[in-house]
Amino acid sequence: MSSSATDTQTIAVSMPQMGISVSEGTILEWHKAVGDPVEADETICDVTTDKVDVEIPCPATGVLARILAEPGETVPVGQPIAEIDTGTPGDAGVEEGGTPVPPKTLRANRLDGSPSPSPSADECDRSAFVSPVVRRMADEHQVDLSAVEGHGIGGRIRKKDLIAHLESAEEKPSRPLHTESPYVPDSPAPAADGGQGSREPMSPMRKAIAEHMVRSVQTAAHCTTIVEVDFSAVASRRAELKPTFAEKGVPLTYLAFVARAVVESLEEFPALNASVDDDDIIRHPDVNLGIAVSLDAGLIVPVIPKAQRLSLEGIAAAIADVAGRARDGKLAPDEVQGGTFTITNPGQFGAVLATPIINQPQVAILDLEAIVKRPVVLESDTGDSIAIRPMGFLPMSWDHRALDGAEAARFLGSVKARLEEGIA
Amino acid sequence: MSAAETTTAPEAPEVRGEITYLEAISDALREEMRRDETVICLGQDIGAFGGAFKVTDGFIEEFGASRVIDAPLAENAIIGAAVGAAAEGLRPVCEMQFADFIACGFDQLVNVAAKLHFRQGVAVPMVVRLPSGGGFSGGPFHSQNPEAWLLQAPGLKVVAPATAADAKGLLTSAIRDSNPVCFLEHKGLYRTVRGEVPEGEYSVPIGEARVAREGGEVSVIAYGSSVHLALDAAEELDEDVEVLDLRTLCPLDTKAVLTTARKTGKVLVAHEATRSCGVGAEVAALVTEHAFEQLDAPVRRLTAPDVPIPFSPPLEQAVLPQLDDMKEALRELLSY
Repeated sequence: MSSSATDTQTIAVSMPQMGISVSEGTILEWHKAVGDPVEADETICDVTTDKVDVEIPCPATGVLARILAEPGETVPVGQPIAEIDTGTPGDAGVEEGGTPVPPKTLRANRLDGSPSPSPSADECDRSAFVSPVVRRMADEHQVDLSAVEGHGIGGRIRKKDLIAHLESAEEKPSRPLHTESPYVPDSPAPAADGGQGSREPMSPMRKAIAEHMVRSVQTAAHCTTIVEVDFSAVASRRAELKPTFAEKGVPLTYLAFVARAVVESLEEFPALNASVDDDDIIRHPDVNLGIAVSLDAGLIVPVIPKAQRLSLEGIAAAIADVAGRARDGKLAPDEVQGGTFTITNPGQFGAVLATPIINQPQVAILDLEAIVKRPVVLESDTGDSIAIRPMGFLPMSWDHRALDGAEAARFLGSVKARLEEGIA
Repeated sequence: MSAAETTTAPEAPEVRGEITYLEAISDALREEMRRDETVICLGQDIGAFGGAFKVTDGFIEEFGASRVIDAPLAENAIIGAAVGAAAEGLRPVCEMQFADFIACGFDQLVNVAAKLHFRQGVAVPMVVRLPSGGGFSGGPFHSQNPEAWLLQAPGLKVVAPATAADAKGLLTSAIRDSNPVCFLEHKGLYRTVRGEVPEGEYSVPIGEARVAREGGEVSVIAYGSSVHLALDAAEELDEDVEVLDLRTLCPLDTKAVLTTARKTGKVLVAHEATRSCGVGAEVAALVTEHAFEQLDAPVRRLTAPDVPIPFSPPLEQAVLPQLDDMKEALRELLSY
C-alpha cells in the first residue's frame, strides 16, 4: 500500500506495488462511493493483477473525495486511483450546515512549470494561517487581518498583501486618529460691514515667518520648561546702574540682564548653544545671540555675534542698537543670520506665559515674560514670611532631539541663579 | 589514492568578461608567490604537468621545483607536510586533484591543522585548494561538494567563491590568513565563468557575503555554482529576487544573511552539496532563530538529495539542482 500526503487535507491513494515484477493493476470493484466516510485500513477497493487479487486498504480516515480509476481500468503502480479528504464528518470536512465541502484535488505536478500565482479553488484554504511577519506587522499597524485580501497560496495573506493593504489604507484614511466631535459650532457671526470681512495675501515677511514656524514645529521635538525668577536683585542693580548707562546713551533693560545671564550659562551648558543638522548635533564655539524684535509687519531676529565677549553694558548697547535698526529696517542681511540661541521678549507687552517656537536650526529659545509684583513666600532661619517681589517667568522651548529635560532644567536653573544673585 | 587524472572540467562556450575563474585562481597564486617567497605549492602533477586543471601551468618554470612541489599520490602526506611547513613559517598551498580526495588527508586536516592553534598556540597558515562540484559525469568520486565535512571541524576557514574576481580575491586572502583555509573552487565554473578581475594584488576579505542581485520579495542565499543558477533564474522569471552570495562559509556572514532574510521574509537556501546537515540547514536554522518574526514563509532549501553523484548524465541532472528547479522553488516561495 502506498499513499502520499500532498497537503494537509487530501491524501492520494496510489496503485500499490504488489510484488517485484508487477507493474500495473486493474480495478475490480469499489467498496465505497464518493462522499462516503472511510476508516484508515478499511478496504476501499479490490484490484486484480495477472497473479493475484488484492484488497486495497484506505491510507487514512476521512471522506472518499474522488475516484480516479473506474472498475475495469488498468493503472500503473504508483499512480493515484483515489483521493481521501482527511477532514472527518462533523469536523473540517463538513461545514456548519452539514454540507460536505467539495472534494479537493491534488496539485498534479510540482514541476509542471506553470503554477498559478493566485490561489486556485482546488487548493486548501490557508487564509487562516498568519505568518510571523504578517502577525507582527498587523499588530504594529493595528490592522484587522480579516479586511486584508490574501493572494498567497490557498488565499494566505502574504507580507506583500499586507503592505499593499497598508498602502491603500494610507491613501484613504479609514481609521482616523481623531474622531470629529458631533458638536457643530454656529457659523461665525457676520461682520458688521455686511459679512464680507477681508482677505489679502500674506506679505513676503509673513510668508517667511509662516514657513519657518511650520517647518520648525514639524522638525523639532518641541518641549517647554519654565522657571520663575525673582528679579529683586536685578531691579536694584538696574536702578543703581541705569543713570550711569544713560549718561553713555545706553538704555538698561531687564532684557539686557537676562541676555547676559543666558550667555554666561550657555558657556556653562554648551549643549544648548548648538544646532541640529540631520543626524548631527553641531556645537558652536561662539554665542551668537538672536534677539527677537517685533515689527509692525511681523518679526525679525537680529543676531549679536560673539555675545560672550560683551559685558552687561556691551550687551545692553548691542540690543538697543540692533532693535533700533530692526525697527528702522536698517539691518544688513548678515545681521539676521548665524544665530546660535534666541531670546524673545513678549513680556514687554504684559504677557506672562508662552511656549515659543524654536528658531531653526537652533536647539532652544528662551522667552522673557512680564515681570510683575507677586506675593512670594520667603524662607529664612527665623521662619517663613510673605513678601512682595518682582517675579517673572522664563519659559524655554528646547528640542528634545538634541537634549533632555534635565539639561534644559539645569540650564534654566543656572540662568535663574545668576539673575537672583544679581551678578550680571 | 588517485592516478594522474586526465579528466578536464566541462567545456562550455565562452562567456562575457575578461579572464576565467580558473585564470583568476592562477593569478592569485602567481601574485602571492611573486610577492612572498614563503608561499609554496604542493600537489599531484602540479609541476611539470601544470595541474590536473592547469591552474599551475608554467609555475615550475617561474618558481622552480623547490616551490612547486610534485607530490606523491598521498593526500595525507601532502597535507601533513604542509602543516609542518606552515608551523615552521612557510605558507603552503596544497592542491587536491579533486575535492573528493580530501578524505584521504582528513586526519591531518581536521585533527592536526585545525587544532594546532587551539592545542599548542601554533599558527597554521596554509590553504587547501579543493576542486569541487559536478555536472560533467565525473561520478561519485570526482563530483562531490564536501564543504559540510569541513564545516564540522572548528579551526578551519572555508571559502567558496562564485565569480572570477572573488576567486582571485579570496585565494589571496586565504594565502595571507594565519589559519588553515579550505578553498572550494567549483570545477563547473573554471572555464564557464569569466569576469573582470583587478590585475596585480587583489584581495577580498574572508567572512563577507556579497549581494549579487538586489531584490525585495524573496532571497536566495547561495554560494559557488548555485549563485549563477539563482541569478539566471531571477533574470528569467523577471521577479523581485535578491541573491546573496555567501562567498565564505566559515566564518559565516550572519549579519548579511539576517539582513536579507529580514528584508524579504522569504528565504531559499541553495547549494549543490547534499541536503542533510549542510550549509542550507545551518542558514535555515540561523534565520529561524534570529529572524522568525520577519518570516513570511518557511525557509526552503534547494540542494542535491542525499545520494552519491551518478555517472549517468540524465541521472546526474536529476540529482544536481537545475535552473528549472531553481525557478520552480522561487515561484513556489513567491506565491506562498
